[in-house]
Amino acid sequence: MIHHTLGVTGSYPLLLTLWLLPLAGAVICWAFGPQLRALAGWLVSALVGAAFVLAVLSWAAATQNAGGALGAHQPLFSWMPGFDFGLLLDPLSLLWTFIITGVGFLIVFYSIGYMDGDPAFARFFAYMGFFVFAMLTLVLSDNFVGLLVGWGLVGLASYFLIGFWFERPTAVAAARKAFVINVVGDVGMMFAIFLIVANVHSIGFGDAFAATGAYGAGLLFAICLALFIGAAAKSAQVPLHTWLPDAMEGPTPVSALIHAATMVTAGVYLVARCAPLWDGSAGAQMLVGTIGGLTALLGAVLGTAQWDIKRVLAYSTMSQIGYMIMGVGVGAYEGGIAHFFTHAFFKAQLFLGAGLVIHALANEQDIRKMGGLWKRMPFAFWVMLTAVLSICGVPMFSGFFSKDQIIYGALQHGHPWLYAVGIVTAGITAYYMFRLLFIAFLGEYRGDEEPGAHSGQAPAWIMNAPVAILVVPSVAIGAALMYGGENSPWARFFAPLFGQQMVPSAAGISEGLTSAIVFVAVLIGFVIAWQRYATRDAQAGAVERLQGETRRMPAVLVNLFYFDAAIDLIFVRPAQFLGVVGGRVLDPRVVDGAVRDLVFWARWLGAVVRSFQTGLVRAYALILVFGAACFILYYALAGGVR
Amino acid sequence: MIAFWLVGTILIASAVWTIAARKPVYSVVALLLNFAALAVLYLTLSAEFLAVIQIIVYSGAILVLFVFVIALLSSGTAPFAAGPNRLPKIWMPAGIIVAAAFVFLTYALVRAPALTPPRAGAVGNAGVFGSIADFGKALFTVQLLPFEVTALILMVAVIGVITLGGEQMRAPSPPHEAKVERAMREAILREGEG
Amino acid sequence: MMAAPIGDYVALASVMFFIGVLGVIVRRNPLIMLMSIELMFNAANLLLIAFARAWLQNSGQIFAFLVITVAAAEAAIGLAIIVTTFRPEKYVDVDDVRALKG
Repeated sequence: MIHHTLGVTGSYPLLLTLWLLPLAGAVICWAFGPQLRALAGWLVSALVGAAFVLAVLSWAAATQNAGGALGAHQPLFSWMPGFDFGLLLDPLSLLWTFIITGVGFLIVFYSIGYMDGDPAFARFFAYMGFFVFAMLTLVLSDNFVGLLVGWGLVGLASYFLIGFWFERPTAVAAARKAFVINVVGDVGMMFAIFLIVANVHSIGFGDAFAATGAYGAGLLFAICLALFIGAAAKSAQVPLHTWLPDAMEGPTPVSALIHAATMVTAGVYLVARCAPLWDGSAGAQMLVGTIGGLTALLGAVLGTAQWDIKRVLAYSTMSQIGYMIMGVGVGAYEGGIAHFFTHAFFKAQLFLGAGLVIHALANEQDIRKMGGLWKRMPFAFWVMLTAVLSICGVPMFSGFFSKDQIIYGALQHGHPWLYAVGIVTAGITAYYMFRLLFIAFLGEYRGDEEPGAHSGQAPAWIMNAPVAILVVPSVAIGAALMYGGENSPWARFFAPLFGQQMVPSAAGISEGLTSAIVFVAVLIGFVIAWQRYATRDAQAGAVERLQGETRRMPAVLVNLFYFDAAIDLIFVRPAQFLGVVGGRVLDPRVVDGAVRDLVFWARWLGAVVRSFQTGLVRAYALILVFGAACFILYYALAGGVR
Repeated sequence: MIAFWLVGTILIASAVWTIAARKPVYSVVALLLNFAALAVLYLTLSAEFLAVIQIIVYSGAILVLFVFVIALLSSGTAPFAAGPNRLPKIWMPAGIIVAAAFVFLTYALVRAPALTPPRAGAVGNAGVFGSIADFGKALFTVQLLPFEVTALILMVAVIGVITLGGEQMRAPSPPHEAKVERAMREAILREGEG
Repeated sequence: MMAAPIGDYVALASVMFFIGVLGVIVRRNPLIMLMSIELMFNAANLLLIAFARAWLQNSGQIFAFLVITVAAAEAAIGLAIIVTTFRPEKYVDVDDVRALKG
């Protein structure tokens, strides 16, 4: 891999503007929220859109490859030798920036309609602007510390946005949980940075990667492990995944932007960025790949046990990110990143489409209360259908290209088990996604509310337009960019970064055969879902069947391996106990008691000294004499006054 | 030798009588005797000038001052010091200190230096140690500054006495007399109980 | 005149001094207290003059002379204070003066 940051000099001020525009929007909304009201949404959308335009304009600068220096660089400031902060726009960060600002723009625009009527309208857009800024900090930094700053800020933005409706105690608890688990990841990242700085005395990517050979196997694995703890927390991988389902308490656009398209992919970005480190440690690659595969499978299995539309999507996100992590973990960087790219589109589309349904049904999220919506909301239906086809990896849709690349990559890099896991998961994904579609849109309407009765005052096109726009990439972008394997535009785009990957020849199974096997698995899932939920007679008992599936899910999986309970036992209870001890025993008795004792002894001392002040002249005379006697005695014993 | 011990005994005895006498007038007389013995001792130590000064200033002026004050304060026929002793436990610490003092005394005696014989010469000569000429010369040349400062101290004393004593020219006011009567009655009562 | 060994003078002076101390502490009549203080002054004077004789330095005598002067001044002021404090009282007891209490 080319260590581009070493050679990049010069400056690219456009990067600075790109980076700071969303922050400006956020600050303005914070400061002038009440005055702006509806204008806040348009403002932030415009600024994020402007950032996207700037990113597009920076294409040439980002992909320039002048003698080993890849990308555009903008230095920020230098704190100490070795601690130089700056911004870097190379193909990897450019891609992420496209998604953050592009999909971000569409989602923020959509929110103008979705959040219409909410009393804290301006605050929402301030937070969204802040989030975009934080995520840009993360991906645009050219050094580990800047990345960590962005990392933390993104966690903070997530906390703000999950707990946006803070009157709801569930939302507050979910926000807190997300933040705490993310902090665990932050600590892992910090340790990784400590290790790197201790060895290289620099925080820049270039310097850290250049010294890969000098680390030693154990140290390199430790660094990768620490980094991956951060990635796992942010990307909701097992075992730090429990916060993602609960994070659905936030508004749907938040779920779309943060918990589907961008923030949760920060872990993928991290692993891809630190590819040289991972390439040097086979153990780390095995670890990451395995966890990714495990999460993918687990997410899919759990997705079949949910009846809240957003929770289904949350588990599906977890599962797809598992795919991505698996991809970049085993070394199939281009595949993993490709899946991130396509997933951003169709997952955002899924969430926004679900948002359309939720908004129309007055915040109803239970799919058992939906049904028959394909007649009443045809637009939403078709949109969701295309997205589901893409996520399942139906051939020629976007998801097909990226997902197959990962699965095949696992085999290519020598992980047959992960290959199998990928195939099985694809089948399960098809099952629960189509099931969702069928239950929510087919059959008879089971709900109480009249759809569309509570749409609010915002015109419908504000919400429908972004979703419509998203259909195009989620369907077609795979074919457009990734068709052609080694010669595709995608491969050529990333060639300077990942082109020198040593790809062993396929072990027996060709890529075409793999695609066929995956398609068969998807078909099986689809057919089972059709049988159980889509046919006329099946629809009658659909709800009961759904409940049955949910109930039969083994408790251990549902409770996410009792992870939350374990944390509660190990950390929360002792902490609470300490708090009680401190509050009831330590504070009143020890601390207050010490103060009281101090007062008592001070008073006692005072009383003793006061007893000398009798006012009696003779007593004073006696004391004088006593003092004089002491002096005399001292000099007598000391042998004279000298 | 015998003379010395005789004078010393008078010295100590008169000192004891000073502090132990019932009436202050007796104490004054004892003190007079003490000063006289002291003057004799000064003479033995070749401090003729100081012996005379001791008699003139101490016995002649200060003791007379004491006598005047006693006269001033004993305007009534009531005895002195009739109130209750508020420091009855004074004997213990006082005794300890005095005992310690005597211990130190013994120690000091052991380390006393030897005596050198005086220079031969007639009394009154400037070169003789302790003569008035010698004393005067030192006082007005080497020790001039302390001499001047002492003069200042005397002046301050005079001013102080005048300031303090001026207010007492008036007779005590009647309400004060009543308070004093009350205090006397109380004291007698307390003494009766104690 | 022949002087006794200096140690004897030191002994005498010490005894006189501590008799004075005893008088100050034990007696309650302020006049007696002042007289005890005078005793202490004189004890110190005796010591000074004795050692002036022992080392043949007349600065000891001069110092004693100045001590006499200061003692006179101090006695004058002390008596003035006593007169001021006890003149209105019927009984002259130093234990009754408790303005310094506190």
